[in-house]
Amino acid sequence: MRSFYCHKILACFIALIVSLLVVPPLSFSDDTLVVYSGRAERLIKPVLDAFQAESGITIQMLTADSTALVNRLKLEGPRSPADVLITNDAGTLERARELHLLHPLDLPEVESAIPPSFRAPDNSWIGLSGRIWVVVYNTNLVKPHDLSSILELAQPKWKGKVAIPSAGSVYLQTGVSVIREMKGDEVTEDFLRGLKDNAGTSVYGKNRQIVAAVARGEVAVGLVNHYYIHRHLAKHPDAPIAQLLPDQGENGMGVVLNAAGIGITTHAKHLTQAKALVKFLISTKGQQMFASGNKEYPLNPNVEASPALLPLNSFHVASVPLARLAELRDPTMTVIEDVGLR
Amino acid sequence: MVAFILAGLITLPLLYVIFSAITADTAVWQRLWTTRIPELLFNTFSLAVSVAIIDLVLGVSLAWILTRYRVVGSTFWDWLIILPLAIPSYVLAYTYTYLLQRHGPLEQFWQMVAGSDAQTFSPFSFAGATLVMSLNTFPFVYLLARSAFKNFNISFEEAARATGASRLSTFFRVSLPMIRPSLIAGLFLAILYVVSDFGAVSMLRYQTFTYAIYQQMTGRFDNTAAACLSLLLVSLAFAFLIGERWFRQRSRFYQTTGRYRKPIPQACSSIQNLCFTRYLIVVIATAFGLPVYLLIQWTLDALTAGDLTTGFMGYLGNSLFLAGVTATLAIVVGVPLANLACRKQTWASLLCIQGAYTGYVLPGPVAALAVLVLITQLTPELYGTVIVLLIAYLVHFLPVALQGMESTLQQLSPNLEEAAKSLGAGAFRTFSKITMPLVRGGFVSAWILVFVQCLKELPATLLLRPVGFDTLAIRIWLEASEELYQLAAPPALLIIAITIPVVLLLMKNPTGEE
Repeated sequence: MRSFYCHKILACFIALIVSLLVVPPLSFSDDTLVVYSGRAERLIKPVLDAFQAESGITIQMLTADSTALVNRLKLEGPRSPADVLITNDAGTLERARELHLLHPLDLPEVESAIPPSFRAPDNSWIGLSGRIWVVVYNTNLVKPHDLSSILELAQPKWKGKVAIPSAGSVYLQTGVSVIREMKGDEVTEDFLRGLKDNAGTSVYGKNRQIVAAVARGEVAVGLVNHYYIHRHLAKHPDAPIAQLLPDQGENGMGVVLNAAGIGITTHAKHLTQAKALVKFLISTKGQQMFASGNKEYPLNPNVEASPALLPLNSFHVASVPLARLAELRDPTMTVIEDVGLR
Repeated sequence: MVAFILAGLITLPLLYVIFSAITADTAVWQRLWTTRIPELLFNTFSLAVSVAIIDLVLGVSLAWILTRYRVVGSTFWDWLIILPLAIPSYVLAYTYTYLLQRHGPLEQFWQMVAGSDAQTFSPFSFAGATLVMSLNTFPFVYLLARSAFKNFNISFEEAARATGASRLSTFFRVSLPMIRPSLIAGLFLAILYVVSDFGAVSMLRYQTFTYAIYQQMTGRFDNTAAACLSLLLVSLAFAFLIGERWFRQRSRFYQTTGRYRKPIPQACSSIQNLCFTRYLIVVIATAFGLPVYLLIQWTLDALTAGDLTTGFMGYLGNSLFLAGVTATLAIVVGVPLANLACRKQTWASLLCIQGAYTGYVLPGPVAALAVLVLITQLTPELYGTVIVLLIAYLVHFLPVALQGMESTLQQLSPNLEEAAKSLGAGAFRTFSKITMPLVRGGFVSAWILVFVQCLKELPATLLLRPVGFDTLAIRIWLEASEELYQLAAPPALLIIAITIPVVLLLMKNPTGEE
């Protein structure tokens, strides 16, 4: 009896090992599309679900940090299962392009829908939605004329009154890249040191938390992407918060603008389906979802931004091309780490 | 021979990390030394020390109360106290980010006590990390202190009391020093846990080595810095392990005479009873009751709101598949290694077994990094498949299995096997007919231990999972880092529910103890 059990156990072991060896590497059927997404699932999944419903193409999604996804694509090379890469930062897409991870696109729809400044010259990546880095302030604590530039947030008078994103935030990294490009490293480092002192423990991992902290009056101002303010106001219409557009005027640096976007991978196995997704996302319908659902700026000029937003062409934007963000990233990380932001 | 090859394969990832760290550009090292390393060393050490102190106080006091006094319901408390081990550190951390947020439940409570201006500390701080990590690890110290107090020879204490020492000084000058070896073992377990933990510190954004390594891997387009930090972390953990062995060897106490008397728990007054019971309730509530209550509440919310995604069963299936296969592999790979360690004590076998234990000092993100680099160099076609993940799990958790199997095999006299062989049985037959039936219990508990550890594994899964292969732990992580408490709760509760019986089982069967 005993030996019978023993053999059975051993047989199970062997069966498991054999089954392990024959488990095929994951492969996906023709009607699927594998998406590597660096955006919060909450913001991108509704749009992808709409595409899935309309086209009948099943989407397999892997959510991770944008940078980690690019590293992963690089390692996977031609074996990558990914068909498209979606990120929350154009710099990351440009880096992927430089590494030849993205497939240049020859789609007339793209040329007509998205202005050239929001896509790579060879269309290997395409911006989908725009976001600006703004100041959110508590209307009970701050008057709009108290602050005109992000750089002022390093002044002692803001001590204990400002909330900032953590060093891991792509938005902070982009902002710092732009400031370095416009003002140089020395100014940037001084600014970051002051900002770090002023923020103290008010360092948050999520923009949503910053907006909430400002709304509760724990801090007077915070640095966030604009749509988080509008998302908060949509839920709590009476919250005492408003958006302040920094660095405007003749001599202002301009507001930091970034784009979330998409690229088809070089080794995409489902090129037709991937193109269908791109077409859907730049179409009026897809763009409207970014505009109304997320309160981001649609980049297709035929689609109106939410009436709650200032029109994209009505303010001064920092003159750093999106593609430039790629090469600025690593030195920016070093600056951020050197200053001691975490 | 098989054992050597296996051990070699298991050590390979670690060797590769060491290699890439040593060959790294000196500029990278220099940047790390001037910016990150001092801070990380300080953070990691101070967290380990503060957690150790709190663990010591909690573990020893609880063990003392429950072994020396007849507290009402002491068996019941004895079971409850180890339940915090069933909560994954990142789950405890995320419940505490909710509890400790500004204007959160704990702050409002504190304001009722201490006035409306009172503030609680932020969970995203040294204090927050210390709280979560100590609540998660004190049962290690408790378990070892308890068994030490139980096997204590009461004659020593009586001698001290008879010669006029007070109760207090007897405790500090006789009882405590006598159980030092157990305490040190418990503390080292807790510290090793703190040093290698990824889930809690990253949820609380407290900068230790594991978190920094993960950030370097996900924030930069280059893994060299991550490899450098990994090398440091591995050396640190290694130093801890060696330190533990050394301490254990130095502090052994022997029974000098045959007079051994077991301590008999004292009856305690109703006042004492009340105090002890309150203390027990407070500790267990903060470490287990409150978080689990929250998770249940959130799960119910998610269920009523219909937020539970359809993929839930799939995540459960993925988790069970990974854990089951890894546990089985760990046993299969572990058999020749454990056999070698127990039966043939040569320097070569010693080296081999130590090699297999390297996974122990290899924290999750490091194991992931090591396997990742190696796979892409040697067999890139495997990358992105489940197999990579399984290899990383195996490297990481084999030591857990080995420890349990080794101690079981050691209890088995070699005479039995030799007798079988002298009667003409071959090696395989001896193993399957004699060894296997006798050690099955120990092997099963080793299997279960690995299984449970795999269920809650986070960093390697985050970095290596194939597309569409989210596990329960991954879902907890993704939802909790978006602060979607309700959505993160059901998978968390499920992991805890699966782990609780295992934790309780281990208490009854200490051969599988970590």
